[in-house]
Amino acid sequence: MNSRRHFFKTSFASTAAVSLFGPLAQAAERSGSRVAGIIDTNINVFDWPFRALKFRDTQALVVKLKKHRVIQGWAGNFEALLAKDINGVNARLAAECRKHGRGFLIPFGSVNLAWPDWEEDLRRCHEVHEMPGIRIYPGYQPFDLDHPGMGRLLQMTTERGLILQVVFGMEDPRVYHPIINVGPVRFRPLVAALKSVPNAKVQLVHFAGSGSNEDLAQFMEYPNTFLEISRLEGNGAIARMLGSVAGLPSARAPLDRILFGSHAPYFPIETAILKLIESPLEAPQLHAIMQGNARRLLLPA
Amino acid sequence: MNAREFFINPADYGLPTRDELVAYRIWDNHFHGFAAKNPIEQYERNNFFVERMGVERSIAQEVGGTLEEPFAPYQYDVEILKILERDKDRLSGRTPIDPGFPDESCAKIEKWIRNGPCIGIKYPGTGKKAVTCSHPNNDPILRLAAELDVHVYIHTWLKVGGTPRLPGGDNLPSESTPMDVAKLAQRFPNVALICGHTGGDWELGVRAVRPHKNVLMEFSGSDPHSGMVEYAIRELGVDRLVWGGHGPSRSYATELGKVLDADISKADRMKIFGGNLRRICASIFRKKGITIEP
Repeated sequence: MNSRRHFFKTSFASTAAVSLFGPLAQAAERSGSRVAGIIDTNINVFDWPFRALKFRDTQALVVKLKKHRVIQGWAGNFEALLAKDINGVNARLAAECRKHGRGFLIPFGSVNLAWPDWEEDLRRCHEVHEMPGIRIYPGYQPFDLDHPGMGRLLQMTTERGLILQVVFGMEDPRVYHPIINVGPVRFRPLVAALKSVPNAKVQLVHFAGSGSNEDLAQFMEYPNTFLEISRLEGNGAIARMLGSVAGLPSARAPLDRILFGSHAPYFPIETAILKLIESPLEAPQLHAIMQGNARRLLLPA
Repeated sequence: MNAREFFINPADYGLPTRDELVAYRIWDNHFHGFAAKNPIEQYERNNFFVERMGVERSIAQEVGGTLEEPFAPYQYDVEILKILERDKDRLSGRTPIDPGFPDESCAKIEKWIRNGPCIGIKYPGTGKKAVTCSHPNNDPILRLAAELDVHVYIHTWLKVGGTPRLPGGDNLPSESTPMDVAKLAQRFPNVALICGHTGGDWELGVRAVRPHKNVLMEFSGSDPHSGMVEYAIRELGVDRLVWGGHGPSRSYATELGKVLDADISKADRMKIFGGNLRRICASIFRKKGITIEP
Protein backbone atom coordinates (compact mmCIF):
# COMPACT_ATOMS: atom_id res chain seq x y z
CA MET A 1 0.00 0.00 0.00
CA ASN A 2 1.25 3.47 -0.84
CA SER A 3 2.53 4.99 2.36
CA ARG A 4 0.87 8.25 1.41
CA ARG A 5 -2.50 6.59 1.25
CA HIS A 6 -4.69 7.81 4.01
CA PHE A 7 -5.54 5.38 6.71
CA PHE A 8 -7.14 5.35 10.06
CA LYS A 9 -5.24 4.60 13.19
CA THR A 10 -7.20 4.46 16.35
CA SER A 11 -5.21 7.27 17.81
CA PHE A 12 -6.38 9.60 15.01
CA ALA A 13 -9.45 11.76 15.28
CA SER A 14 -12.17 9.86 13.49
CA THR A 15 -13.70 12.87 11.80
CA ALA A 16 -10.46 13.66 10.07
CA ALA A 17 -10.00 10.11 8.95
CA VAL A 18 -13.53 9.45 7.78
CA SER A 19 -13.43 12.38 5.39
CA LEU A 20 -10.71 10.55 3.51
CA PHE A 21 -12.36 7.18 3.10
CA GLY A 22 -13.69 7.60 -0.43
CA PRO A 23 -16.76 5.42 -0.97
CA LEU A 24 -17.50 5.16 2.72
CA ALA A 25 -17.37 8.91 3.14
CA GLN A 26 -19.55 9.47 0.09
CA ALA A 27 -22.12 7.02 1.40
CA ALA A 28 -22.05 8.73 4.75
CA GLU A 29 -22.60 12.12 3.16
CA ARG A 30 -25.57 10.81 1.18
CA SER A 31 -27.17 9.60 4.38
CA GLY A 32 -26.57 12.87 6.15
CA SER A 33 -24.23 11.21 8.62
CA ARG A 34 -20.51 11.49 8.92
CA VAL A 35 -20.25 7.71 9.13
CA ALA A 36 -21.41 5.19 6.53
CA GLY A 37 -24.15 2.92 7.76
CA ILE A 38 -24.64 -0.81 7.48
CA ILE A 39 -27.42 -2.76 5.79
CA ASP A 40 -27.86 -5.93 7.82
CA THR A 41 -29.40 -8.55 5.54
CA ASN A 42 -29.91 -11.19 8.23
CA ILE A 43 -31.90 -10.41 11.32
CA ASN A 44 -35.02 -12.00 12.76
CA VAL A 45 -37.77 -10.68 14.97
CA PHE A 46 -40.04 -12.19 17.63
CA ASP A 47 -39.17 -15.18 19.77
CA TRP A 48 -36.54 -17.81 19.15
CA PRO A 49 -38.41 -20.98 20.06
CA PHE A 50 -35.89 -22.31 22.58
CA ARG A 51 -34.56 -19.35 24.55
CA ALA A 52 -35.60 -15.86 25.57
CA LEU A 53 -33.11 -13.85 23.53
CA LYS A 54 -31.66 -10.70 25.00
CA PHE A 55 -33.00 -8.53 22.17
CA ARG A 56 -36.24 -10.39 21.55
CA ASP A 57 -38.22 -7.16 21.93
CA THR A 58 -38.22 -5.51 18.52
CA GLN A 59 -37.93 -1.99 19.88
CA ALA A 60 -34.88 -2.98 21.90
CA LEU A 61 -33.42 -4.69 18.84
CA VAL A 62 -33.95 -1.60 16.69
CA VAL A 63 -32.24 0.60 19.28
CA LYS A 64 -29.36 -1.86 19.47
CA LEU A 65 -28.93 -2.04 15.70
CA LYS A 66 -29.00 1.72 15.36
CA LYS A 67 -26.42 2.06 18.11
CA HIS A 68 -24.10 0.08 15.87
CA ARG A 69 -24.86 2.16 12.76
CA VAL A 70 -27.18 -0.27 11.09
CA ILE A 71 -29.36 1.80 8.78
CA GLN A 72 -31.55 -1.02 7.50
CA GLY A 73 -32.30 -4.55 8.63
CA TRP A 74 -33.77 -7.28 6.45
CA ALA A 75 -35.97 -9.10 8.91
CA GLY A 76 -37.31 -12.59 8.97
CA ASN A 77 -39.66 -13.98 11.58
CA PHE A 78 -38.47 -16.78 13.88
CA GLU A 79 -42.04 -18.08 13.88
CA ALA A 80 -41.56 -19.21 10.28
CA LEU A 81 -39.33 -22.07 11.47
CA LEU A 82 -42.12 -24.11 12.98
CA ALA A 83 -45.48 -22.46 12.20
CA LYS A 84 -48.10 -23.89 9.88
CA ASP A 85 -50.04 -20.64 9.40
CA ILE A 86 -47.29 -19.02 7.37
CA ASN A 87 -49.55 -16.23 6.18
CA GLY A 88 -50.16 -15.26 9.80
CA VAL A 89 -46.41 -15.31 10.40
CA ASN A 90 -45.88 -13.01 7.43
CA ALA A 91 -48.68 -10.62 8.37
CA ARG A 92 -47.29 -10.23 11.90
CA LEU A 93 -43.82 -9.66 10.49
CA ALA A 94 -45.04 -6.97 8.10
CA ALA A 95 -46.96 -5.19 10.86
CA GLU A 96 -44.02 -5.35 13.25
CA CYS A 97 -41.69 -3.88 10.66
CA ARG A 98 -44.13 -1.04 9.90
CA LYS A 99 -44.54 -0.36 13.62
CA HIS A 100 -40.86 0.30 14.07
CA GLY A 101 -40.38 2.75 11.26
CA ARG A 102 -40.84 2.40 7.53
CA GLY A 103 -37.61 1.76 5.72
CA PHE A 104 -35.61 0.53 8.68
CA LEU A 105 -36.88 -3.01 9.14
CA ILE A 106 -37.55 -4.58 5.74
CA PRO A 107 -39.77 -7.66 6.08
CA PHE A 108 -38.73 -10.89 4.42
CA GLY A 109 -41.67 -13.23 4.80
CA SER A 110 -41.51 -16.95 4.24
CA VAL A 111 -43.14 -19.78 2.38
CA ASN A 112 -42.98 -23.42 3.38
CA LEU A 113 -42.75 -25.69 0.37
CA ALA A 114 -43.99 -28.61 2.44
CA TRP A 115 -47.29 -26.88 3.21
CA PRO A 116 -50.08 -26.79 0.61
CA ASP A 117 -50.72 -23.69 -1.51
CA TRP A 118 -47.49 -21.97 -0.57
CA GLU A 119 -47.82 -20.09 -3.86
CA GLU A 120 -50.60 -17.99 -2.32
CA ASP A 121 -48.34 -17.10 0.62
CA LEU A 122 -45.74 -15.94 -1.87
CA ARG A 123 -48.29 -13.82 -3.73
CA ARG A 124 -49.38 -12.16 -0.50
CA CYS A 125 -45.77 -11.46 0.51
CA HIS A 126 -45.34 -9.59 -2.74
CA GLU A 127 -48.71 -8.04 -3.44
CA VAL A 128 -50.22 -7.53 0.01
CA HIS A 129 -47.18 -6.94 2.19
CA GLU A 130 -44.99 -5.47 -0.57
CA MET A 131 -41.97 -7.39 0.59
CA PRO A 132 -38.82 -7.28 -1.55
CA GLY A 133 -38.07 -10.92 -0.92
CA ILE A 134 -38.73 -14.04 1.09
CA ARG A 135 -36.65 -16.24 3.35
CA ILE A 136 -36.88 -20.03 3.50
CA TYR A 137 -35.49 -22.21 6.30
CA PRO A 138 -34.91 -25.70 4.83
CA GLY A 139 -34.61 -28.34 7.51
CA TYR A 140 -36.59 -26.52 10.16
CA GLN A 141 -39.22 -26.21 7.45
CA PRO A 142 -39.54 -29.87 6.45
CA PHE A 143 -38.06 -29.82 2.97
CA ASP A 144 -34.61 -29.83 1.42
CA LEU A 145 -33.39 -27.88 -1.58
CA ASP A 146 -34.10 -30.82 -3.87
CA HIS A 147 -37.81 -30.42 -3.15
CA PRO A 148 -39.83 -30.59 -6.38
CA GLY A 149 -41.22 -27.13 -5.63
CA MET A 150 -37.81 -25.41 -5.64
CA GLY A 151 -37.79 -24.82 -9.38
CA ARG A 152 -41.25 -23.32 -9.24
CA LEU A 153 -40.26 -21.13 -6.28
CA LEU A 154 -37.22 -19.81 -8.14
CA GLN A 155 -39.37 -19.17 -11.21
CA MET A 156 -42.02 -17.31 -9.25
CA THR A 157 -39.61 -15.17 -7.24
CA THR A 158 -37.76 -14.25 -10.43
CA GLU A 159 -40.95 -13.32 -12.28
CA ARG A 160 -41.90 -11.06 -9.38
CA GLY A 161 -38.41 -9.62 -8.96
CA LEU A 162 -38.18 -10.98 -5.43
CA ILE A 163 -35.01 -11.90 -3.56
CA LEU A 164 -34.93 -15.49 -2.34
CA GLN A 165 -32.96 -15.84 0.90
CA VAL A 166 -32.03 -19.45 1.63
CA VAL A 167 -31.07 -20.08 5.25
CA PHE A 168 -28.43 -22.76 5.75
CA GLY A 169 -28.73 -23.01 9.51
CA MET A 170 -29.86 -21.22 12.61
CA GLU A 171 -27.59 -22.71 15.26
CA ASP A 172 -24.80 -25.20 15.81
CA PRO A 173 -26.36 -28.67 15.35
CA ARG A 174 -24.33 -29.93 18.29
CA VAL A 175 -26.42 -27.85 20.68
CA TYR A 176 -29.86 -28.37 19.21
CA HIS A 177 -32.63 -28.96 21.68
CA PRO A 178 -32.94 -32.76 21.71
CA ILE A 179 -36.36 -32.66 20.05
CA ILE A 180 -34.83 -30.91 17.02
CA ASN A 181 -32.98 -33.10 14.58
CA VAL A 182 -32.35 -31.02 11.49
CA GLY A 183 -29.83 -32.38 9.06
CA PRO A 184 -27.41 -30.24 7.04
CA VAL A 185 -28.89 -28.35 4.12
CA ARG A 186 -27.45 -29.63 0.85
CA PHE A 187 -26.32 -26.78 -1.36
CA ARG A 188 -25.85 -28.61 -4.65
CA PRO A 189 -29.56 -28.98 -5.57
CA LEU A 190 -29.94 -25.20 -5.38
CA VAL A 191 -27.04 -24.71 -7.77
CA ALA A 192 -28.61 -27.25 -10.10
CA ALA A 193 -32.01 -25.57 -9.93
CA LEU A 194 -30.50 -22.25 -10.98
CA LYS A 195 -29.68 -23.65 -14.42
CA SER A 196 -33.27 -23.18 -15.50
CA VAL A 197 -33.67 -19.79 -13.77
CA PRO A 198 -30.26 -18.21 -14.19
CA ASN A 199 -31.35 -14.66 -13.40
CA ALA A 200 -32.90 -15.52 -10.05
CA LYS A 201 -31.89 -13.30 -7.15
CA VAL A 202 -30.68 -15.72 -4.50
CA GLN A 203 -28.88 -14.99 -1.24
CA LEU A 204 -27.27 -17.65 0.94
CA VAL A 205 -27.96 -16.83 4.58
CA HIS A 206 -25.85 -18.06 7.51
CA PHE A 207 -23.80 -20.04 5.01
CA ALA A 208 -20.51 -21.42 6.31
CA GLY A 209 -18.82 -21.66 2.93
CA SER A 210 -16.53 -24.46 3.99
CA GLY A 211 -16.57 -27.73 2.13
CA SER A 212 -18.47 -26.36 -0.84
CA ASN A 213 -15.87 -24.55 -2.90
CA GLU A 214 -16.88 -25.98 -6.26
CA ASP A 215 -20.58 -25.52 -5.63
CA LEU A 216 -20.04 -21.96 -4.47
CA ALA A 217 -17.94 -21.17 -7.51
CA GLN A 218 -20.72 -22.48 -9.76
CA PHE A 219 -23.31 -20.57 -7.77
CA MET A 220 -21.36 -17.35 -8.20
CA GLU A 221 -21.30 -17.78 -11.97
CA TYR A 222 -24.92 -16.66 -12.01
CA PRO A 223 -25.41 -12.90 -12.12
CA ASN A 224 -27.63 -12.31 -9.09
CA THR A 225 -26.24 -14.62 -6.44
CA PHE A 226 -25.01 -13.46 -3.06
CA LEU A 227 -24.04 -14.59 0.43
CA GLU A 228 -23.73 -12.88 3.79
CA ILE A 229 -21.00 -13.08 6.40
CA SER A 230 -22.68 -14.12 9.67
CA ARG A 231 -21.49 -17.75 9.50
CA LEU A 232 -17.97 -17.16 8.17
CA GLU A 233 -15.42 -18.25 10.75
CA GLY A 234 -11.70 -18.07 11.36
CA ASN A 235 -9.39 -15.12 11.63
CA GLY A 236 -9.61 -12.89 8.59
CA ALA A 237 -12.51 -14.89 7.18
CA ILE A 238 -13.84 -12.19 4.88
CA ALA A 239 -10.43 -11.34 3.47
CA ARG A 240 -9.69 -15.04 2.99
CA MET A 241 -12.95 -15.44 1.08
CA LEU A 242 -11.88 -12.56 -1.13
CA GLY A 243 -8.46 -14.13 -1.55
CA SER A 244 -6.68 -11.05 -0.23
CA VAL A 245 -4.98 -12.80 2.69
CA ALA A 246 -3.60 -16.30 3.10
CA GLY A 247 -4.55 -18.61 5.93
CA LEU A 248 -6.95 -21.43 6.48
CA PRO A 249 -8.52 -22.71 3.28
CA SER A 250 -11.61 -20.78 2.32
CA ALA A 251 -14.27 -20.89 -0.33
CA ARG A 252 -14.01 -17.87 -2.59
CA ALA A 253 -16.61 -15.31 -3.51
CA PRO A 254 -16.20 -12.08 -5.44
CA LEU A 255 -16.45 -8.81 -3.57
CA ASP A 256 -19.61 -7.70 -5.33
CA ARG A 257 -21.52 -10.73 -3.99
CA ILE A 258 -20.76 -10.45 -0.29
CA LEU A 259 -23.33 -8.84 1.99
CA PHE A 260 -23.30 -7.89 5.62
CA GLY A 261 -25.40 -10.18 7.82
CA SER A 262 -25.30 -10.50 11.58
CA HIS A 263 -27.85 -13.20 12.50
CA ALA A 264 -28.98 -10.88 15.29
CA PRO A 265 -30.55 -11.14 17.75
CA TYR A 266 -29.45 -14.78 18.04
CA PHE A 267 -25.82 -13.73 17.48
CA PRO A 268 -24.52 -10.48 18.93
CA ILE A 269 -24.47 -7.78 16.25
CA GLU A 270 -20.95 -7.00 17.47
CA THR A 271 -19.48 -10.19 16.00
CA ALA A 272 -20.31 -9.39 12.39
CA ILE A 273 -19.06 -5.80 12.62
CA LEU A 274 -15.87 -7.01 14.27
CA LYS A 275 -15.33 -9.33 11.30
CA LEU A 276 -15.21 -6.25 9.09
CA ILE A 277 -12.58 -4.78 11.40
CA GLU A 278 -10.61 -7.99 11.87
CA SER A 279 -10.18 -8.62 8.15
CA PRO A 280 -7.77 -6.23 6.45
CA LEU A 281 -10.26 -4.58 4.10
CA GLU A 282 -9.85 -1.36 2.21
CA ALA A 283 -12.52 1.32 1.99
CA PRO A 284 -14.12 0.21 -1.31
CA GLN A 285 -14.34 -3.35 -0.03
CA LEU A 286 -15.93 -2.23 3.22
CA HIS A 287 -18.43 -0.06 1.42
CA ALA A 288 -19.47 -2.86 -0.90
CA ILE A 289 -20.07 -5.28 1.96
CA MET A 290 -21.60 -2.82 4.40
CA GLN A 291 -24.22 -1.47 2.02
CA GLY A 292 -23.29 -1.14 -1.66
CA ASN A 293 -24.00 -4.72 -2.67
CA ALA A 294 -27.24 -4.85 -0.71
CA ARG A 295 -28.49 -1.67 -2.36
CA ARG A 296 -27.75 -3.18 -5.76
CA LEU A 297 -29.54 -6.40 -4.87
CA LEU A 298 -32.62 -4.44 -3.85
CA LEU A 299 -32.84 -2.63 -7.18
CA PRO A 300 -35.57 -3.87 -9.53
CA ALA A 301 -34.28 -6.39 -12.06
CA MET B 1 -2.03 -3.42 4.81
CA ASN B 2 -0.31 -3.40 8.16
CA ALA B 3 -2.02 -4.82 11.22
CA ARG B 4 -2.82 -1.44 12.74
CA GLU B 5 -4.34 0.05 9.61
CA PHE B 6 -8.12 0.39 9.61
CA PHE B 7 -10.50 1.97 7.14
CA ILE B 8 -13.38 2.25 9.55
CA ASN B 9 -13.26 3.56 13.06
CA PRO B 10 -14.69 0.93 15.44
CA ALA B 11 -15.86 3.67 17.79
CA ASP B 12 -18.21 4.95 15.08
CA TYR B 13 -19.88 1.52 15.13
CA GLY B 14 -20.26 1.24 18.88
CA LEU B 15 -17.19 -0.93 19.32
CA PRO B 16 -13.84 -0.53 21.08
CA THR B 17 -10.96 0.88 19.11
CA ARG B 18 -7.75 -1.10 18.96
CA ASP B 19 -6.32 1.10 21.71
CA GLU B 20 -9.30 0.25 23.88
CA LEU B 21 -8.92 -3.47 23.16
CA VAL B 22 -5.27 -3.21 24.20
CA ALA B 23 -6.38 -1.46 27.37
CA TYR B 24 -8.61 -4.44 28.22
CA ARG B 25 -5.38 -6.50 28.48
CA ILE B 26 -6.74 -9.48 26.57
CA TRP B 27 -5.26 -12.85 27.40
CA ASP B 28 -6.32 -15.52 24.95
CA ASN B 29 -6.86 -18.60 27.04
CA HIS B 30 -7.44 -20.83 24.01
CA PHE B 31 -5.00 -20.44 21.15
CA HIS B 32 -4.57 -23.05 18.43
CA GLY B 33 -1.79 -21.29 16.55
CA PHE B 34 0.30 -24.46 16.43
CA ALA B 35 -2.54 -26.82 15.49
CA ALA B 36 -1.77 -27.29 11.81
CA LYS B 37 0.27 -29.34 9.40
CA ASN B 38 2.50 -26.29 9.09
CA PRO B 39 2.36 -24.99 12.69
CA ILE B 40 5.21 -22.49 12.51
CA GLU B 41 3.91 -20.86 9.36
CA GLN B 42 0.41 -20.71 10.78
CA TYR B 43 1.61 -19.20 14.04
CA GLU B 44 3.61 -16.48 12.32
CA ARG B 45 0.77 -15.66 9.95
CA ASN B 46 -1.77 -15.46 12.74
CA ASN B 47 0.32 -12.88 14.56
CA PHE B 48 -1.12 -10.32 12.14
CA PHE B 49 -4.53 -10.84 13.75
CA VAL B 50 -3.13 -11.02 17.28
CA GLU B 51 -1.63 -7.60 16.67
CA ARG B 52 -4.66 -6.23 14.85
CA MET B 53 -7.14 -7.20 17.57
CA GLY B 54 -4.93 -6.14 20.46
CA VAL B 55 -4.37 -9.50 22.16
CA GLU B 56 -1.75 -9.14 24.90
CA ARG B 57 -0.88 -12.81 25.50
CA SER B 58 -1.93 -16.09 23.92
CA ILE B 59 -1.91 -19.46 25.68
CA ALA B 60 -1.17 -22.14 23.10
CA GLN B 61 -3.10 -25.34 23.74
CA GLU B 62 -0.59 -27.72 22.22
CA VAL B 63 2.97 -27.34 23.42
CA GLY B 64 4.82 -30.66 23.55
CA GLY B 65 3.18 -33.09 21.18
CA THR B 66 -0.23 -32.61 19.66
CA LEU B 67 -3.77 -32.96 20.97
CA GLU B 68 -4.16 -36.24 19.08
CA GLU B 69 -0.72 -37.62 20.00
CA PRO B 70 0.26 -35.92 23.25
CA PHE B 71 3.05 -38.37 24.12
CA ALA B 72 4.66 -38.89 20.71
CA PRO B 73 7.73 -36.83 19.83
CA TYR B 74 6.61 -34.01 17.59
CA GLN B 75 8.90 -32.81 14.83
CA TYR B 76 8.08 -29.16 15.57
CA ASP B 77 8.66 -29.25 19.34
CA VAL B 78 12.11 -27.69 19.08
CA GLU B 79 10.96 -24.84 16.88
CA ILE B 80 7.93 -24.22 19.06
CA LEU B 81 10.16 -24.04 22.14
CA LYS B 82 12.31 -21.45 20.40
CA ILE B 83 9.24 -19.40 19.58
CA LEU B 84 8.03 -19.66 23.19
CA GLU B 85 11.34 -18.18 24.29
CA ARG B 86 11.45 -15.56 21.53
CA ASP B 87 7.85 -14.44 22.16
CA LYS B 88 7.77 -14.97 25.92
CA ASP B 89 6.35 -11.51 26.41
CA ARG B 90 3.16 -12.50 24.55
CA LEU B 91 3.01 -16.30 24.31
CA SER B 92 2.68 -19.13 26.82
CA GLY B 93 1.69 -22.75 26.50
CA ARG B 94 -0.19 -25.62 28.03
CA THR B 95 0.87 -29.15 27.43
CA PRO B 96 -1.70 -31.77 26.42
CA ILE B 97 -2.03 -35.02 28.33
CA ASP B 98 -4.35 -38.05 28.17
CA PRO B 99 -5.90 -39.41 31.40
CA GLY B 100 -6.11 -42.79 29.73
CA PHE B 101 -2.39 -42.89 30.53
CA PRO B 102 -1.93 -41.30 33.97
CA ASP B 103 1.74 -42.25 34.46
CA GLU B 104 2.74 -40.88 31.07
CA SER B 105 0.63 -37.80 31.75
CA CYS B 106 2.40 -37.11 35.03
CA ALA B 107 5.78 -37.63 33.41
CA LYS B 108 4.83 -35.16 30.73
CA ILE B 109 3.74 -32.59 33.31
CA GLU B 110 7.08 -32.99 35.07
CA LYS B 111 8.93 -32.45 31.82
CA TRP B 112 6.92 -29.63 30.29
CA ILE B 113 5.67 -27.77 33.36
CA ARG B 114 7.90 -28.42 36.38
CA ASN B 115 11.05 -28.56 34.25
CA GLY B 116 9.79 -26.85 31.11
CA PRO B 117 8.13 -23.69 29.91
CA CYS B 118 4.44 -24.61 30.13
CA ILE B 119 2.03 -22.92 32.53
CA GLY B 120 -0.95 -25.27 32.42
CA ILE B 121 -2.32 -28.71 31.64
CA LYS B 122 -4.59 -29.30 28.68
CA TYR B 123 -7.13 -32.13 28.53
CA PRO B 124 -8.11 -32.76 24.91
CA GLY B 125 -11.29 -34.62 24.08
CA THR B 126 -9.54 -37.08 21.84
CA GLY B 127 -7.95 -39.56 24.24
CA LYS B 128 -7.19 -43.06 23.04
CA LYS B 129 -9.15 -44.78 25.81
CA ALA B 130 -12.70 -44.05 26.91
CA VAL B 131 -11.50 -42.10 29.94
CA THR B 132 -13.01 -38.73 30.72
CA CYS B 133 -11.88 -36.29 33.38
CA SER B 134 -14.12 -37.74 36.07
CA HIS B 135 -12.42 -41.17 35.99
CA PRO B 136 -10.18 -42.14 38.97
CA ASN B 137 -7.22 -42.17 36.56
CA ASN B 138 -7.23 -38.41 36.86
CA ASP B 139 -6.43 -38.31 40.55
CA PRO B 140 -2.63 -38.60 40.30
CA ILE B 141 -2.65 -35.96 37.58
CA LEU B 142 -4.69 -33.59 39.74
CA ARG B 143 -2.52 -34.28 42.80
CA LEU B 144 0.49 -33.25 40.76
CA ALA B 145 -1.35 -30.17 39.49
CA ALA B 146 -2.10 -29.24 43.11
CA GLU B 147 1.54 -29.70 44.08
CA LEU B 148 2.67 -27.45 41.23
CA ASP B 149 -0.19 -25.01 41.84
CA VAL B 150 -1.02 -25.12 38.17
CA HIS B 151 -4.44 -24.89 36.54
CA VAL B 152 -6.06 -27.55 34.36
CA TYR B 153 -7.91 -26.77 31.14
CA ILE B 154 -10.48 -29.41 30.18
CA HIS B 155 -12.09 -29.56 26.75
CA THR B 156 -15.79 -30.23 27.29
CA TRP B 157 -18.79 -30.61 25.04
CA LEU B 158 -22.40 -31.64 25.31
CA LYS B 159 -23.05 -32.78 21.75
CA VAL B 160 -26.65 -33.75 21.39
CA GLY B 161 -27.30 -37.28 20.19
CA GLY B 162 -27.54 -40.91 21.22
CA THR B 163 -30.56 -42.93 22.25
CA PRO B 164 -32.41 -41.40 23.91
CA ARG B 165 -31.30 -38.20 22.19
CA LEU B 166 -29.74 -36.02 24.89
CA PRO B 167 -26.99 -33.41 25.33
CA GLY B 168 -23.68 -35.27 25.58
CA GLY B 169 -25.06 -38.34 23.85
CA ASP B 170 -22.91 -37.74 20.80
CA ASN B 171 -19.66 -37.00 22.64
CA LEU B 172 -16.54 -38.94 21.77
CA PRO B 173 -15.81 -41.74 24.27
CA SER B 174 -13.07 -39.73 26.00
CA GLU B 175 -14.71 -36.33 25.60
CA SER B 176 -15.61 -34.86 28.98
CA THR B 177 -18.82 -33.03 29.80
CA PRO B 178 -19.22 -30.19 32.30
CA MET B 179 -20.79 -32.80 34.56
CA ASP B 180 -17.50 -34.72 34.46
CA VAL B 181 -15.68 -31.53 35.39
CA ALA B 182 -18.04 -31.04 38.32
CA LYS B 183 -17.20 -34.51 39.65
CA LEU B 184 -13.50 -33.84 39.37
CA ALA B 185 -13.87 -30.41 40.98
CA GLN B 186 -15.58 -31.97 43.95
CA ARG B 187 -12.61 -34.26 44.52
CA PHE B 188 -10.03 -31.50 44.02
CA PRO B 189 -11.54 -28.26 45.29
CA ASN B 190 -8.13 -26.59 45.53
CA VAL B 191 -7.17 -26.99 41.88
CA ALA B 192 -8.34 -24.34 39.42
CA LEU B 193 -10.17 -26.05 36.56
CA ILE B 194 -11.25 -24.38 33.35
CA CYS B 195 -14.34 -25.92 31.80
CA GLY B 196 -13.54 -25.45 28.12
CA HIS B 197 -16.17 -24.28 25.63
CA THR B 198 -18.75 -24.23 28.47
CA GLY B 199 -19.60 -27.66 27.15
CA GLY B 200 -20.85 -25.93 24.01
CA ASP B 201 -24.32 -25.84 25.50
CA TRP B 202 -23.69 -22.99 27.92
CA GLU B 203 -27.13 -23.01 29.48
CA LEU B 204 -26.57 -26.54 30.71
CA GLY B 205 -22.80 -26.32 31.18
CA VAL B 206 -23.02 -23.39 33.55
CA ARG B 207 -25.63 -25.19 35.64
CA ALA B 208 -23.42 -28.28 35.87
CA VAL B 209 -20.40 -26.53 37.35
CA ARG B 210 -22.29 -23.87 39.31
CA PRO B 211 -21.70 -25.28 42.82
CA HIS B 212 -17.96 -25.71 42.38
CA LYS B 213 -16.12 -22.46 43.01
CA ASN B 214 -12.82 -23.79 41.67
CA VAL B 215 -14.28 -24.19 38.18
CA LEU B 216 -13.96 -21.33 35.71
CA MET B 217 -15.91 -21.23 32.45
CA GLU B 218 -14.47 -20.49 29.03
CA PHE B 219 -16.71 -19.66 26.08
CA SER B 220 -14.45 -20.11 23.09
CA GLY B 221 -14.96 -22.46 20.19
CA SER B 222 -18.71 -22.35 20.18
CA ASP B 223 -21.07 -20.02 18.37
CA PRO B 224 -21.57 -16.53 19.79
CA HIS B 225 -24.95 -16.32 21.46
CA SER B 226 -26.25 -12.99 22.58
CA GLY B 227 -26.81 -13.04 26.33
CA MET B 228 -24.51 -15.96 27.11
CA VAL B 229 -21.95 -14.00 29.13
CA GLU B 230 -24.55 -12.17 31.19
CA TYR B 231 -26.22 -15.49 31.98
CA ALA B 232 -22.92 -16.93 33.18
CA ILE B 233 -22.21 -13.87 35.31
CA ARG B 234 -25.63 -14.18 36.93
CA GLU B 235 -25.11 -17.84 37.74
CA LEU B 236 -21.37 -18.02 38.47
CA GLY B 237 -20.16 -14.51 39.14
CA VAL B 238 -17.79 -12.56 36.95
CA ASP B 239 -14.69 -13.93 38.69
CA ARG B 240 -15.29 -17.37 37.17
CA LEU B 241 -15.15 -16.49 33.47
CA VAL B 242 -12.14 -16.54 31.18
CA TRP B 243 -11.88 -15.56 27.53
CA GLY B 244 -10.54 -17.60 24.67
CA GLY B 245 -10.01 -16.68 21.04
CA HIS B 246 -9.77 -20.20 19.58
CA GLY B 247 -7.90 -18.77 16.64
CA PRO B 248 -7.14 -19.18 13.94
CA SER B 249 -10.01 -21.59 13.34
CA ARG B 250 -12.44 -19.22 15.05
CA SER B 251 -12.47 -15.48 14.57
CA TYR B 252 -11.29 -13.19 17.33
CA ALA B 253 -14.29 -11.18 16.15
CA THR B 254 -16.62 -14.00 17.14
CA GLU B 255 -15.11 -14.42 20.57
CA LEU B 256 -14.73 -10.73 21.40
CA GLY B 257 -18.33 -10.17 20.39
CA LYS B 258 -19.55 -12.53 23.11
CA VAL B 259 -18.14 -10.30 25.83
CA LEU B 260 -18.87 -6.99 24.14
CA ASP B 261 -22.50 -8.05 23.83
CA ALA B 262 -22.76 -8.05 27.62
CA ASP B 263 -23.84 -4.85 29.36
CA ILE B 264 -21.17 -4.92 32.04
CA SER B 265 -18.59 -2.56 33.47
CA LYS B 266 -15.12 -2.10 32.02
CA ALA B 267 -13.71 -3.62 35.20
CA ASP B 268 -15.78 -6.76 34.70
CA ARG B 269 -14.79 -6.99 31.04
CA MET B 270 -11.16 -6.78 32.08
CA LYS B 271 -11.64 -9.67 34.49
CA ILE B 272 -13.12 -11.84 31.73
CA PHE B 273 -10.67 -10.77 29.04
CA GLY B 274 -7.63 -11.55 31.17
CA GLY B 275 -7.72 -10.66 34.85
CA ASN B 276 -9.22 -13.94 36.00
CA LEU B 277 -6.77 -15.99 33.98
CA ARG B 278 -3.84 -13.98 35.30
CA ARG B 279 -5.12 -14.63 38.83
CA ILE B 280 -5.05 -18.41 38.47
CA CYS B 281 -1.75 -18.31 36.57
CA ALA B 282 0.07 -15.99 38.96
CA SER B 283 1.73 -18.73 40.96
CA ILE B 284 3.13 -20.69 38.04
CA PHE B 285 4.39 -17.54 36.32
CA ARG B 286 6.08 -16.53 39.56
CA LYS B 287 7.76 -19.94 39.79
CA LYS B 288 9.07 -19.52 36.27
CA GLY B 289 10.45 -16.12 37.09
CA ILE B 290 8.08 -14.29 34.80
CA THR B 291 6.57 -11.13 36.19
CA ILE B 292 3.03 -10.39 35.12
CA GLU B 293 0.89 -7.44 36.05
CA PRO B 294 -2.34 -8.71 37.67
